[in-house]
Amino acid sequence: MRRELILAGVLLTVLLLTTAFAEESEEPLGGLLGDESDGSRAHPTHLIPLYPENEDGERGEQVTLDAELVLPFSTKWTCGQCHSYDLIKHGWHFNAIDGNVPPGRCGEPWVYFDAKLGIQVPLSYRAWPGTHPPAAFGMTEFRFTQIFGRHMPGGGPGEVTATDVDDIGRQYVAGKLEINCLACHNGHYGQDQGGVGGYAVQVSRQNFRWAAAASSEFADVKGSASAMTDTYDPFMPMGDDKEPQVVYREGTFDADGSVLFDIVRESPNHRCYYCHSDVYYAEQDGPTEKWSCDEDVHLTAGLKCVDCHRNGIGHNIIRGYAHESDLSGSSLAATSCEGCHVPEGSDVPEAGRLGAPVPEHVGLPPVHFERLTCTACHSGPWPGDGAVLTKTSRAHRLGTPNVNKAEAVLPHILSPVFAQEAGTVSGSGDAASVRRSGKIAPHKLIWPAYWATLGDGKVTPVTLDVAETAVKKVFEDVESPADGSWPQMTNEHITQALTALGEAVGEKAAYVAGGTLYHLNDAGEVVEEADHPAGAPYMWPLAHGVRPAAQSLGVRYCTDCHSTASPFFFGAVGVDSPVASAAGQAKEQVEFQGISRFYAWAFSASFVFRPWFKVFALGSSAILGVVLLLYGLRALGGVARVLAEKE
Amino acid sequence: MFQTVAVAIFLVTLAGIGVHWIAFPARSQRGGVSMVAGIVHVFSLLLIEQKQSLLGALKKLCYLVAFICFVVLAITGFYPLLVRGEHISGYLMMIHATFAPVFAICLAILAITWAGGYRFETGDCPWLWRFLRRVTVLRIPSSEGPCRCSLVVQKVTFWAIVGLSLPLIMSIVLSMLPLFGTHWQETLLATHRWTAVAFAVAVLIHTYMAIRIRTACEA
Repeated sequence: MRRELILAGVLLTVLLLTTAFAEESEEPLGGLLGDESDGSRAHPTHLIPLYPENEDGERGEQVTLDAELVLPFSTKWTCGQCHSYDLIKHGWHFNAIDGNVPPGRCGEPWVYFDAKLGIQVPLSYRAWPGTHPPAAFGMTEFRFTQIFGRHMPGGGPGEVTATDVDDIGRQYVAGKLEINCLACHNGHYGQDQGGVGGYAVQVSRQNFRWAAAASSEFADVKGSASAMTDTYDPFMPMGDDKEPQVVYREGTFDADGSVLFDIVRESPNHRCYYCHSDVYYAEQDGPTEKWSCDEDVHLTAGLKCVDCHRNGIGHNIIRGYAHESDLSGSSLAATSCEGCHVPEGSDVPEAGRLGAPVPEHVGLPPVHFERLTCTACHSGPWPGDGAVLTKTSRAHRLGTPNVNKAEAVLPHILSPVFAQEAGTVSGSGDAASVRRSGKIAPHKLIWPAYWATLGDGKVTPVTLDVAETAVKKVFEDVESPADGSWPQMTNEHITQALTALGEAVGEKAAYVAGGTLYHLNDAGEVVEEADHPAGAPYMWPLAHGVRPAAQSLGVRYCTDCHSTASPFFFGAVGVDSPVASAAGQAKEQVEFQGISRFYAWAFSASFVFRPWFKVFALGSSAILGVVLLLYGLRALGGVARVLAEKE
Repeated sequence: MFQTVAVAIFLVTLAGIGVHWIAFPARSQRGGVSMVAGIVHVFSLLLIEQKQSLLGALKKLCYLVAFICFVVLAITGFYPLLVRGEHISGYLMMIHATFAPVFAICLAILAITWAGGYRFETGDCPWLWRFLRRVTVLRIPSSEGPCRCSLVVQKVTFWAIVGLSLPLIMSIVLSMLPLFGTHWQETLLATHRWTAVAFAVAVLIHTYMAIRIRTACEA
C-alpha cells in the first residue's frame, strides 16, 4: 500500500511538471514572431489564417467558409499566433483587475449611474482613492463587462472566469471578451466600434465571443447571446434566428483561407478617440461641437496620440504623467510634458523631441513650476465663471447608437476643477501608498451618489440589486426629466427610501449625494452631514486638449489667475446632487486647492498694486543709480586730477 | 547650497562683530557709558525731543522706516529660505512685497541725503594714501592724522548698501516684467538672494559702526 502511494505521488509530480512545461512551451512569452521587431519601420503585411476558440477554450480549427460550423475568429488564437497574448494582456488597458499592478496616477473611473434611484458612482478595479471597486456594489466581472465593455478594448474583467452562479451559464453562452486587437490596430475604415452592428452593440447583447469579429470590416454578427437561455450551446447551433452567428463577407478569404488585415503598429488617433473623447459644455457658447473647438495642439501639429503614449509588446502604454517612470521602471515613461519640452538629466541633448518647442515662460516666476502642473495653464477648456458639464466617451457612451445628446444627461462630470493633484498610488494591496505632489492641476470631478449602510460611523455601499429592490418603489412616481438629468428627490423621498432600505438590510441606512450624508435619526427625521468624507468628490487630472502657448493661462497678464474674480481661484464648482434641496449649491475652486480663501483673495488683490510696486522700485533704482553715478564720477574726477598733476 | 553658505556668512559676520566688540571696546565702554545707550540713541532718533530741521527730521524718519523695513524684509525673506529650506511664499511673500517698495523709496532718499556725508576724504585713511603715494610716486594729497577706521568702515558699508541695492531691487523688478525666460528668471532670483545676503551683511556692519560711533560720541 505504501509503495503504491509513493508511486502515485511520483506519477502525479511527473504529470504536473509535464503539464507545466507543456503550457510554457505552448506560448513562450516574448518569443513569438511578432514579439520583437527587427527594427524595420515598415508595416508588416498581415495575411493570416483565422482561428476561433473551441468549446474547450483552446484554439479551434482554422476558420473556413465551408466548415460545418463557422465560428467567429478569436484574437487570442489568431493574433496570438505571432504575438504573445499572455504578455499583452498584462498591459495597462487590460490589467486593471490585477491587484499587483500599481494603480499609478488617479485616472478616469467607470461611472455607473441610475437616475431613477439617485445613483452615480465612480468605479474602478484600480485602488484609486475615491473610487469604489465594482464588487462593492455587487457587480460581478461579467455584469461589469456587459455594462462597460462597449468602451473596453477587451481583456481584463472580460476574461475573468465567472464564479457567480448566475454568470457561469451566461459566460458559456456569451464567451469571454477577449482583447480586441483590432479596436486599436485596425487601420481599415470599416472597423466598427460604435455602429449599430459594431463592437459596443455586440457587447451589450452579451455577444462577447463575437464582438471582435463583428467590429472587423469583413464580418457581420447577427443574433444575441442575451436572448438565449443558459442551456444554449453556441458550438451546437439550433438554427434559431436569435442565436448569435457570424457571417464573413464575400472575398474575405484568399485561396489559402487567409485573410488580409490592415494592421497598423501605431494606432490612428480616431481609434483612441473612440474611448477618449471629451465634450465640454461652455456656459456662454452652448454645446461644444467639434467644429467650434480645436483639437489638442499636438494633434493639430501632426503628432499622433501614440507618439507620446507609447508601448512595447507588453502594452504597458505610457500614460505620460510626471514620475511615471518611478512606477513603471521604463525610462521611456519620460514622455511627459517635460520629457519633450524641457528634458533634463540626460547626457545628450534631448530638447525639441518630436519638434517640441522649448518654452521660455517669459516673465513667469519659477515658483509656478513648483505649484502648478503644466496642464494647469495649458490644458482643458479656458476656465469660465465655473466648471462646466463635461462628457467623456466612457461615461456617456459617446460614439455608440442612441446616445442621449442632452447637455444635462447623467453622469454629471464637471471640469475644469483646479485642485491639488489627486495623487499617484504606488505599490499594491496593503503596501499601497499615495504620493501627492501638492501641485494644482485641472481635473474632472464627479460627486458620488449611492445608497449605503451606516455602522460605527462607517459608510458601506449596498449592492445595486438590494438598493433597487428596496428603494425603487419610493421613486416610481418621480418624473424623470427628458434630458436624462436627475429627477427631483425630496427629503420626503429620502426619508421613505432610507426607511425602506433600513428594513431591507436590517441596518441603519444612509444615502450619500452631493458631498452630504443623509441618514435618519431616532425620530425618523433626515439628518444631513455636509462635507462627509464618504461623499467627497472623485477627481482625476485632465491632460488634453492642450492649448497652444498663446492661449495658456497668464499669457495676457498675471491677472488671468491673480485677480479677485479669477475663475482659477474663485470659479464655481457645482455640487451635483439629485436632492432637490441641494440644487444650486456650489463651491469655489480655491476650496480644492489646499489654500485659504482669504489668502487667495488677498494675494490676488495685491496685484492691483503691482504696477505701483514696479514704478516705485524702478524710480528708486533710478535715483540710487544717479547717486552712484554722480559720486562715482566725482571720485573719478579726483583720480583724474591726481593723474593730471603728475604730467 | 545657498542655505548653508548664507547661514555661514551670517554667523561669521555676527561672530566678527562680537569679537570686534570684545577685542576693541569703544571708548565709551572704557568710560562706563553703556552700549545700550548708543543703540537706544540710534533707534530712537525721532522719539526723543530734538532740534532738527525738516530735512533732518525727514532723514531720520527715512532711516528709521528703512531700518524697520529691513528687519521685516530680512525676516520674511530669510526665514523660509534659511530656516525652513523653502522658497518664500504665502503671507510672508505678501508682507515682503508690501515692505519692499517702501524700503526702496527710503533707500533712495537716504542715498541722496547721506551720500555727501559719506564721501571718502583724504583724512579717512592716511596709511592708504601714504602707501599709494609710495607705490605710484604721485602727488596724492594726504593728512597725517590717525586712521578713523570706524568711520571708514561705515562709509564703505554705506556705499556697499547703495551699490548692492541696485541689483537687489532690479533683479526682482526685472523678473516681474515680461522680459526674461525661466533660465534668466532663476538667475535673477539667485542674484536677488545672494545680493540680499551681501546687503544684509553690509547693513549689519553699518549699523554696528553707527552704534559704536554714537556710543563714542556719547562718551
